[in-house]
Amino acid sequence: MRETILDIAGYGLDYATPSGFTRALDDVSLSIARGEVLGLVGESGSGKTSLAWAIMRYLPATARETGSIRLTGQDLLKASEAEIDAIRGRRIGMVFQDPSTSLNPTLPLGEQLAEVLVRHRGLTRKQAWAEGEARLAHVGLKVPRQMMRRYPHEASGGEKQRVVIATAFACQPECIIFDEPTTALDVITARQILELFKELQAETGVASLYISHDLALVSQIASKVAVIHRGRIVEQGAVGDVFARPQDAYTKKLLAAVPRPDHRLVGMEAPEAATPLVEVEKVSVLYGRKPFLGRLLGRANTQFTGNREVSLSVMPGEILGIVGESGSGKSTLAKAMTGLNRFEGEIRFAGRRITGLSDMDRAYRREVQIIFQHPDSSLNPRQRIREILSRPLALYGEPGSRRDAAAIGELLEQVRLPAAYADRYPHQLSGGEKQRVAIARAFASKPKLVICDEITSALDVSVQASVVELLVDLQKRFGTAYLFITHDLNLVRQIAHRIAVMYRGDLVDLVDIATLSTGPLHPYTRSLLEAVPAPATAAA
Amino acid sequence: MSPAYILKRILLIGYTLLVVSLIVFAITQILPADAAVMMLGENATPDALAALRLKMGLNDPIWMQYLHWLGGVVRGDFGVSMRTGQPVAPAMIEALGRSLLLALFSILLMLAVAIPLGIVAAVRRGRAADLGVSFLSYIGVSLPEFVTATLMVLVLADWLQWLPATGYVPLTEDPLRGLRHLVLPVLTVSMILVAHVSRMVRSELVDVLHSDYIRAARLKGLSKRQVLFKHALRNALLPTITIVALDVGYLLGGVIVVEEIFALPGIGRQLIVAIQARDLPSIQAGALIMATTYAVANFLADICYAWLDRRIQYD
Amino acid sequence: MIEILKRMLRSPQGALGLVVVGLILLVVIVGPWSAPYDPEKMAPLMRYKPPSAQFWLGTDQYGRDILSRLLHGARATVVMAVLATALGTLVGAIVGTVSAFLGGRGDEAIMRTVDAIMSIPSLLLALLIVNLLGKSSVNALLAIALAFAPGMARVTRSVALAVRKQDYVNAAIARGESAGFIVGREMLPNVVAPIIVEMTIRVAFAVMLFATLSFLGLGAQPPASEWGLMVSEARRFMHLSPWMILWPSLAIALVAIGFNLLGDGLRDALNPRT
Repeated sequence: MRETILDIAGYGLDYATPSGFTRALDDVSLSIARGEVLGLVGESGSGKTSLAWAIMRYLPATARETGSIRLTGQDLLKASEAEIDAIRGRRIGMVFQDPSTSLNPTLPLGEQLAEVLVRHRGLTRKQAWAEGEARLAHVGLKVPRQMMRRYPHEASGGEKQRVVIATAFACQPECIIFDEPTTALDVITARQILELFKELQAETGVASLYISHDLALVSQIASKVAVIHRGRIVEQGAVGDVFARPQDAYTKKLLAAVPRPDHRLVGMEAPEAATPLVEVEKVSVLYGRKPFLGRLLGRANTQFTGNREVSLSVMPGEILGIVGESGSGKSTLAKAMTGLNRFEGEIRFAGRRITGLSDMDRAYRREVQIIFQHPDSSLNPRQRIREILSRPLALYGEPGSRRDAAAIGELLEQVRLPAAYADRYPHQLSGGEKQRVAIARAFASKPKLVICDEITSALDVSVQASVVELLVDLQKRFGTAYLFITHDLNLVRQIAHRIAVMYRGDLVDLVDIATLSTGPLHPYTRSLLEAVPAPATAAA
Repeated sequence: MSPAYILKRILLIGYTLLVVSLIVFAITQILPADAAVMMLGENATPDALAALRLKMGLNDPIWMQYLHWLGGVVRGDFGVSMRTGQPVAPAMIEALGRSLLLALFSILLMLAVAIPLGIVAAVRRGRAADLGVSFLSYIGVSLPEFVTATLMVLVLADWLQWLPATGYVPLTEDPLRGLRHLVLPVLTVSMILVAHVSRMVRSELVDVLHSDYIRAARLKGLSKRQVLFKHALRNALLPTITIVALDVGYLLGGVIVVEEIFALPGIGRQLIVAIQARDLPSIQAGALIMATTYAVANFLADICYAWLDRRIQYD
Repeated sequence: MIEILKRMLRSPQGALGLVVVGLILLVVIVGPWSAPYDPEKMAPLMRYKPPSAQFWLGTDQYGRDILSRLLHGARATVVMAVLATALGTLVGAIVGTVSAFLGGRGDEAIMRTVDAIMSIPSLLLALLIVNLLGKSSVNALLAIALAFAPGMARVTRSVALAVRKQDYVNAAIARGESAGFIVGREMLPNVVAPIIVEMTIRVAFAVMLFATLSFLGLGAQPPASEWGLMVSEARRFMHLSPWMILWPSLAIALVAIGFNLLGDGLRDALNPRT
């Protein structure tokens, strides 16, 4: 047995609130040995981040603790503040979720790395900068000298996360906590960061606690896994064992919720139809306006392209997935199709040509509905659910159609919410429930096409699974076509009939789901497919 | 920071002054039904009124009057004071110098007091020091200058006899006495500013201290002190530049009241005298000079901010 | 509404602000009837009296009861300030909303002009307007309203733009709602709250500005018992009786503190950060 680095035993954490104590962690026990990677998997609010703060001794004054957290035998709960300062960054490093917020925007990247070397290894500033440069080269940054002098806004997300990782490894710590280090990054960048993590981990043998919500990802990199739910570790063990033979009901539910491309939720073939429901022809969107003064001074046009001559079509009842990284123009297209963006080119819907916002009349808007990513933002906080749902009925309903409580209740039941929710305000609902309300609003007008713009990406895996199931169910019932925009390739492969791939404003690929693994693909599509971690059960 | 950005800001100052000149002209010359009657009073003889109208060009169309006036202003000619018969510009510029001295001392005192207060309040959030600063700042922002000034004269000048109540001695003549005369006005003017800016510094710093990168810095093992001075203050104090510049508006308003109370012959007092004497050219000049001061202060603050904050790409 | 009130009572600023402003409003309403003396009744033998059982706050240079004068003056001071702020807010809100609604070059032109007007200090703008319209309370009210309008336009615009970016507005546009519905039903209810906060804080400033104008002799005119005017008149006699200047000063400060606290409490109650 290798030396145990981090040993947490019977650890409990409560926060004192005006109305008593709330439990964040309950009887948590786990240990990580040198060279091991422990994947800690849980959904939001499960307490996984609280555990990271507890290990780092970064807790508010309201925290009450029991049990112990030992770093090579030393109980951190009993360590003085000075001892903790000497341990942080030196013996326990941490890599944070979002490099764009975890780096100080007004200090050069190099300074933020070098200060750790000065603090913990007693180097002079000059030595620290030289060492920092070597460190940056080591994490695969091409121009380390320039990168040292750059500010965070001058580097890409991937480059910044490499700097954060270099900082965490800088003092050869015994243990590093990785708190969802790839969640804020694009798929391909995330893949590269993950490779870097594997390399550095193998090289240094650092005991790693890898926190993630992503089971598939954890199955690839961890040797042990612990599943945390409502502050309790419900199951832990070797990765193979847990994923192949989950014992706990929650683990089973979580595993079942992970989207698997081989597990189709709808048939491979779209319903037969002679003519497309909607055709998008050479639609381009330009953002920004020509700067008056810039033009005067002969400067380049600062407008940028959201979409460049995108053409595609959706058949009736078809689910067309659109994938691409953030900024690739997926949402821009959705906005153009719903009249939220000006566009050039034309959209043909049910035989009608639409070349501008003015062509989008009530009939078109009734047939084409959109659901947004964040239900917090898409439901007006000052309206009750009743009011939110009655608008489309009032707007599109035929004369004499019902708008009464029963009609609202039906809409709610359609998305599996109790009819009594009609009297609530959005803030009284959970994230998943809010998104169901948004779905109910979109389906109130019985549309032919619903544009789903990343509607599950703000939700937890298990909630996402139930929302997707609901969408599939509605699609079967009403034969609605979906334009399903997402960055989650595994998810879209479960439900889409065809997949459109967007990259920097261009539509680079449009393939049938059947030919995705065999047919000829654009190089970007291929790298996207390769970057996506294979789902959990593959590891078994 | 590109030259285009600076050029754009300079053009904006030009636009600002054009708008201000229109407003000032409109308020002073168009709003009163008859400027000549307003200046000479109801009992003036028709001859005198006619002469004045001719002299002021009041018989011309309004737009010509404006252009004529603006033409003079651009050349630095604000006309002749109705009260003294002297050209307005030199007297106003001289008064402006004295006011700027008052403003400068006030801003320096304010920064020296407000920033440490804000920092202490933010770092000790929720504790006695924070509540104390918060209490003081509520009182500070809620006392009009004329009240603070009067109360300070009552205590420091009348009862304790530490400082002179009113008057002005040029610093060049007798620096010590000059400074003694400035103490009360400076204290009065900086009071509201201290209260306002310390609250702003506090809230900015509280936000920054809750940010991810401050937590990251602490978790790298840096001490609280290092994190505060190296990582937090820089980000928290940047917005203060803008706030101070915007507060120049309050400051100038305060200067008007304070100069009146302490009989300090600055531009604020000149303005009050001009308003009471209905001396239109002086009013116009004073108002325009004050607005220019404000616009220039904000211009400098923006340039300063853009220079210090490398994040923002100005175009 | 009741929920907001509850949340306000939970924070110290909110609770204190509610109490102080509540008391002030009470004085405004019942003040004139609760005054022990006629505020304008002169008593040559009772001049410059310090506080006593007979005259709780003392008397002024004409022997008038200061408490009665303060109670009567509350209306002139507070009601004027509230009205001026409300008027300024209304004008500013309209300009700000129009600007945010127009967007693009129109928005830029309006905002640059608003910025330009803001470069004239509020006090100076008010002084100029009052001087030329004539010295009176009503003109001071108009002047303060005009001086506040640009600032409120800025606040309204930034709030409206933030709301405009929310997806529930996008959803309404995509749904094909009319412009009137979007502005009136989707945006306005969400814009109003921050504006009310800003307005409350500005009432404090208006009280001070109004008093300052009176102090400079350009607002309320004698023998009115407006508080700023009372301070101004008392200055000449401060050696004889410091009480005369102390009480109206304190009254002004109390009102300003009350509205400042109320504004901050409202802000916290309307945007719970945690």
